[in-house]
Amino acid sequence: MSAVSLYARGVLHLSALLLAVLSMSVGALAQTKEPIRIGWLSSLTGPLSSAAIAENKGVQFAVEEINKSGGILGRPVELLTRDTAGEPTKAVNFANQLLHSEKVHFIIGPVNSGETLATVGVVAKTGTPNLIIGALESLTDPVKYPRAFRPIVTNGQWIKAANDYAVDTLKKQKIAIVGDTSGYGTASAKQAAEMLAKRGIKPVISLIIDANKADLNDEFSKMKAAGADVIMPWTAATSLLARMLNTRGDMQWDVPIVGHPALIALPVKPLLNKPEYWNNAFAAGYRSSTYDESGKLPARTVELMEKIKPSLGGSIDFTFWWVQLGYDCVKIIEHAVKTAGSTDPAAITKALNETKDLQGSYTSYSWTPQARDAFPNADVVMNVGGTFKEGSFQIAPSK
Amino acid sequence: MLTVIVYGLAIGSVYAATALVYNVMYSTSKVLSVSTGHVPMLGGIFGAFFIGQLNLPIVVGLVLAVAVAALFNYLTDVVAVRRVLARSDEHLWLLSTLAVATMISQTMALWWGTEPKPFPRLFPQDFSQGIADQKYWLPVAAAVICAVGLELFYRRTMYGKLFVATSEDAFAARARGINTDRVRSFSYVLAGALGGIAGFAAGQLTFAYFALGFSLTLNGFIAIAVGGLGSNLGAVIGGLALGMMSSFATYFFGGEYQQTVAIGILMLVLILKPEGLFGSKQVRPV
Amino acid sequence: MTERSRVTRIAMLLIGAVLLVVLPFLVRDQYQLHLAQLIGVYWILIAGLNLVVGYSGQLSVGHVGLLAVGAYAFAIIAGKYDIPPLLALAACGMIGGLCGFLLGLPSLRLPGFYFAMATLAFAVIVTEQSVAQTELTGGGVGLPVPGFNAPFDTPAGLYWLILAVAALITWLSWNVARLMWGRALIGVRDSEVAARSVGISIYRAKLIVFIFSGVTAGLAGGLFSSLQSYITPDTFVFELGLFFFTCIIIGGRGSIIGPFIGTIILTAIPEVVAPLARLGNFFYGFLLLVVVLLTPEGFGRLIQQVLARFSGKVNESKVVAPDPDLLRKALQGARN
Repeated sequence: MSAVSLYARGVLHLSALLLAVLSMSVGALAQTKEPIRIGWLSSLTGPLSSAAIAENKGVQFAVEEINKSGGILGRPVELLTRDTAGEPTKAVNFANQLLHSEKVHFIIGPVNSGETLATVGVVAKTGTPNLIIGALESLTDPVKYPRAFRPIVTNGQWIKAANDYAVDTLKKQKIAIVGDTSGYGTASAKQAAEMLAKRGIKPVISLIIDANKADLNDEFSKMKAAGADVIMPWTAATSLLARMLNTRGDMQWDVPIVGHPALIALPVKPLLNKPEYWNNAFAAGYRSSTYDESGKLPARTVELMEKIKPSLGGSIDFTFWWVQLGYDCVKIIEHAVKTAGSTDPAAITKALNETKDLQGSYTSYSWTPQARDAFPNADVVMNVGGTFKEGSFQIAPSK
Repeated sequence: MLTVIVYGLAIGSVYAATALVYNVMYSTSKVLSVSTGHVPMLGGIFGAFFIGQLNLPIVVGLVLAVAVAALFNYLTDVVAVRRVLARSDEHLWLLSTLAVATMISQTMALWWGTEPKPFPRLFPQDFSQGIADQKYWLPVAAAVICAVGLELFYRRTMYGKLFVATSEDAFAARARGINTDRVRSFSYVLAGALGGIAGFAAGQLTFAYFALGFSLTLNGFIAIAVGGLGSNLGAVIGGLALGMMSSFATYFFGGEYQQTVAIGILMLVLILKPEGLFGSKQVRPV
Repeated sequence: MTERSRVTRIAMLLIGAVLLVVLPFLVRDQYQLHLAQLIGVYWILIAGLNLVVGYSGQLSVGHVGLLAVGAYAFAIIAGKYDIPPLLALAACGMIGGLCGFLLGLPSLRLPGFYFAMATLAFAVIVTEQSVAQTELTGGGVGLPVPGFNAPFDTPAGLYWLILAVAALITWLSWNVARLMWGRALIGVRDSEVAARSVGISIYRAKLIVFIFSGVTAGLAGGLFSSLQSYITPDTFVFELGLFFFTCIIIGGRGSIIGPFIGTIILTAIPEVVAPLARLGNFFYGFLLLVVVLLTPEGFGRLIQQVLARFSGKVNESKVVAPDPDLLRKALQGARN
């Protein structure tokens, strides 16, 4: 064989090889699209983890559902979960890890307000969009945290609904405020007193109680002596709320208790001395997880319940709105990415800022560049104690 | 006012019983285990589990719950204390018992849940009894039974005397042929049983709750420090004093100052009498 | 120490120093730099605490209270009152030292476990008051914390500030350990009676060391709060105090490099077990137990043993024999 033909053959082989490699890589590029990475900071262990665990169920279900139907814009969704155990230092560490090492496109959480206070600034520094699911007012701020959006209700909305119900519907004026010794408890008790003061009402007594105190007879004697005709607790501590209901029942004092949603949540039930102790108790809740006067739930809630019940073991025996919130967070991200056409943070922010009445399971969401708290006031309702059924509650009577 | 006193006595009894657990373990091993508070916690949780969830008869539930607590304490000895003592390094048992405490606390959080769960009613009684309610008097009764039982054990039985001998001078005891290792293991089992009884009795007061462990570790420690290490009477008095002082502090100053005031007063006691109210000055010829 | 091993030691120190200085350029991303900053801040506190726990043998588990005091002091002085941050940091150190003095004065007279309880009580009181005193500390909501001015306002800049403070503190504590002070302290730790019989003023030694540890805790607190950019009472839980104590024990008492390695390991473990989510804390306890049971002397001792094996020291027999000249001179001096 001549040198020329050898050379020609070599070139032919080489170019064939090159063509093959090129076509393979083009095909590979078309197939491997970068996944959408969502960082999820959740306090799965430690105190107040029941909310986080339920929200986690919603988040995971939504991610699975989206991936089963092909992902978002053809890209799979990757969920990176980090257990912060309720500690702000861990939350900050994991936030840094998710933002810088894992380079997530979104951060959901953390769940507890105390942790979120520490992380929201850290996330804001990197310009990553952050879905805030803590209730304290100062967690969103269009100027300080331009890419933070809150789908959950704010603490003030809970307090307003409860205050309005106690004063306007139940027609009570002598209010006893109870908070626990945690950061949330002390801050909320103060906020509740301030909001009442704006209406010209001064509470007759304000107590801060350690959540682990095993006996509340003294506190109740003090409240009775002060002439209280309604008790308003602002604590998420199950044992404290259960003991309040027990003490009230044991001393046979028929005063209404109106306050934090945890008051009528399922974990309280087994701790009650008698089931009727849950009567005459009302808590802030949501239209989406409330049975209306004819006993019906909103269609969107029923829809999600049917879809997710099998993966929850066939029954729903915890507060369902947590699941709805977790599910909606992922769906909000899906909506944002689809609207923006990419995961570019600036485009996402613009898409979220222009969101109006996005129909979710928990509520419908609207944000503007000035308002980052989506929850509409009209969707905050009052629920009755002792009416828990499959994750939702009965609506409180309006008279 | 009466309720303040009754509540103080009740919670003080739980602290006193925990202090007794500390004392029994300390006497034979010179170790103050971080996992001490978790023993009553286990007694409470397993009591609720066996009687409340498995619907076993109350006595059976009590025996099983106490057995679990005793077993846990025995394992603490085997895993965390025995090997560490052999190396005679002072602070290591603090870490090994801390590790054990973390593990059992996390296991309970994962299995039993992070929410407090109810403890069943042991004796039929209406709930409107006020201060005569069993949830106040069961812990007091348990503490009294534990303290008296312990004293009788030390004074009247042979094994009790072995305990005392080992705690006073381990070397001399060994020289007399006492197997100090076995005595120590048994003392841990006994301490575990005491803690289990206390936790079981206190279940209605505290609810069956995994976070009780660390809280009792701290408060039980304060109780024994005030009462004096090595003295059972001191443990009881210290526990009751702590319970009463917390109760009064909360009543007068409100929940935010509860721990500050209680600890502050106790620190005062320590400054004036460093070895605790009933502890003995550790004097050693050099 | 032979000339050769001394040169090796200095060389290793220099290499280590250079690596630490260029660390911001070596790490992969901001997260690792954040971890390095956190380790640095913890080390500042632990270096001082090391003298208390590792050298004079005092069981202090409540230093988290001093950290909290430093952190809130910085947030209030630099944040609310707008004092220049570096000045505020110095003030934090002084406040920490003052608290160390006030805490140590009554407590150091107590025997071992009671002293531990006193430090614990201090930490509990600090936490409770940081929630209760809402006007001062923001209560449950906490306080935002300002950063430092240029050139320390970038992550790398803050890292170098932390490194500078840490280097200074390490050098100070190394000197204390090396010179007579340190020897005295070890004597105090191992046998108080013997130490006293040689004329060492135990109480004064312990108190001065405790004050120093207060200063380092105050400085660490100020830097910590600036690093976190927001502090709440939840941050300063009792577990953190035990964490510091653990770093020293795992590193090995009586050395400086040991606790330093202990700090690095214990800060890194939670990050490693991060993907385990719910089981993470359980594994932290489990790992702690395994480490305690397998290397109870601490890593410092382990490394010393490894180094000794590699340096190939021959076991010289040291014969105790009199030096005739010196002896003659001494005898002649005594006769005159």
